[in-house]
Amino acid sequence: MSQQSLNAPGGGPDEGAEESAATTGGQTFASAQGADDLLDEIDAVLESNAETFVRSFVQKGGQ
Amino acid sequence: MKRRVGGLETEFGLVCVRADGTRAMEPEAAARELFRPVVAMGRSSNVFLRNAARLYLDVGSHPEYATAECDDWWDLVAQDRAGERIFADLTAQANQRLAADGQDARIHLLKNNVDSQGNAFGSHENYLVDRRGEFTRLPRYLLPFLVTRQIITGAGGVVRSDDSAQFVFSRRSDHMWEAVSSATTRTRPIINTRDEPHGDPTRFRRLHVIVGDSTMSEVSTYLRFATTDLVLRAIESGRALPELTLHDDIAAIRSVSRDLTGRAPIPTAGGATTTAVEVQQRWLDLAAGTADETEQGVLETWQRAIDAVRTGDRSWAATHLDWAIKERLFTQVTERRGVDLSDPAIERLDLAYHDIDPGQSIFRNLQRRDLAPSTVAEERIEAARETAPTTTRAHLRGQVVTAAQQHGVDHVVDWTTLRLTRPGAMPVQVLDPFATSLPAVDALLEEIRSLGESSPPPVPPA
Repeated sequence: MSQQSLNAPGGGPDEGAEESAATTGGQTFASAQGADDLLDEIDAVLESNAETFVRSFVQKGGQ
Repeated sequence: MKRRVGGLETEFGLVCVRADGTRAMEPEAAARELFRPVVAMGRSSNVFLRNAARLYLDVGSHPEYATAECDDWWDLVAQDRAGERIFADLTAQANQRLAADGQDARIHLLKNNVDSQGNAFGSHENYLVDRRGEFTRLPRYLLPFLVTRQIITGAGGVVRSDDSAQFVFSRRSDHMWEAVSSATTRTRPIINTRDEPHGDPTRFRRLHVIVGDSTMSEVSTYLRFATTDLVLRAIESGRALPELTLHDDIAAIRSVSRDLTGRAPIPTAGGATTTAVEVQQRWLDLAAGTADETEQGVLETWQRAIDAVRTGDRSWAATHLDWAIKERLFTQVTERRGVDLSDPAIERLDLAYHDIDPGQSIFRNLQRRDLAPSTVAEERIEAARETAPTTTRAHLRGQVVTAAQQHGVDHVVDWTTLRLTRPGAMPVQVLDPFATSLPAVDALLEEIRSLGESSPPPVPPA
């Protein structure tokens, strides 16, 4: 099968630059504004009962 | 072996919570709900899919997905990602049923390796090795590589003690108790010796590596297999190998996990010391001698990963390798919130990183922003949900399962056997993992088509 690039930032050659541009609004946006948005979204996850959620995750061991 | 078959088994964590975060269902009940469409179709919670993978419920109510046999490590990554999507869809369906039923309950599937009480579960790599290759000699050379491999392919995480918390390459390192053994749960080893070749036992043996973390990054998953394959080939080549046997593998794996510089001394059996970076570099240099021209990319990426630890320059690693992506993320979030790594919010963040729901997963969120790699093309992942790898025995199993599902013919398959569940049906054995065509399988496919019912086939879960 085809060898794919491991070194392209994010999307490899098959991924299509258009798609990443469409979802992030371009590289500049991704690196500056995007990071703030990301942290805002993370805040939303962490502020909804983070500690209770963690405590609920108890499962007998697997392998 | 120039061509090697490998496969990846992933056990998922499962938690079912109410909107307030409290537990809504026990794992057993949540797993039953999750597997409802699987059982409806396959009359079992242990089925093989059209892509020749195995989907089942393992010990401790851990949903598990085992990829089909792959001989190309990008195929393997695609098949692994396909499994995540299959389980993400089953999770979404289960959550829709629970919501329609008016229940305040939401199932999360986590592709990680430890719950909040320290119960561990695994990500198991399988590599086909030659039976004649003196299996007893293998661990001696492989162990130093596996003990230090976490600086490249660890998932990263936080280890907490009474009054402190620190970032580590791999939390799984603390759950390893032996170097080599036949146990899997009691005294979990780095290499498991259960001899299940899933093929002709006179020719093949399975190397079962259970030290790995479940990796979200496709680059991390790829490197686990591509580098281990190269190291195995170097060992098999018969050339002079580095004598890096460690004094205490288990003490070493824990200290390597905690040493983010990769340069702390590790005692060797010979009374000297080495370092994690040195062990990886020695193997990389040796593998360069056996790698072919199509594998130069593996060597380059492996070198970048070693350099990220050696130099402390994370700029490439922080968008490509799980541990470094997480290291940066956790640093940003602790700074922003004014907390340290022991804060429960960080443990919640770690779980959210590994959540396989595309809407909930922090990893997918990073991927959408090019802060984590999307190396395998979208179409290839989608194709892998329906299509087995074409260059191994998986191709045969995939064809039989697909035909049997399409024609509504009852069947039972496992890694080596294909059989229809009707009186007098003879099983077809495929003991060569490299076989991609077999007259007996052609005959079986013909039989399935001729038995095909006119009624519409059942809708499969994938």
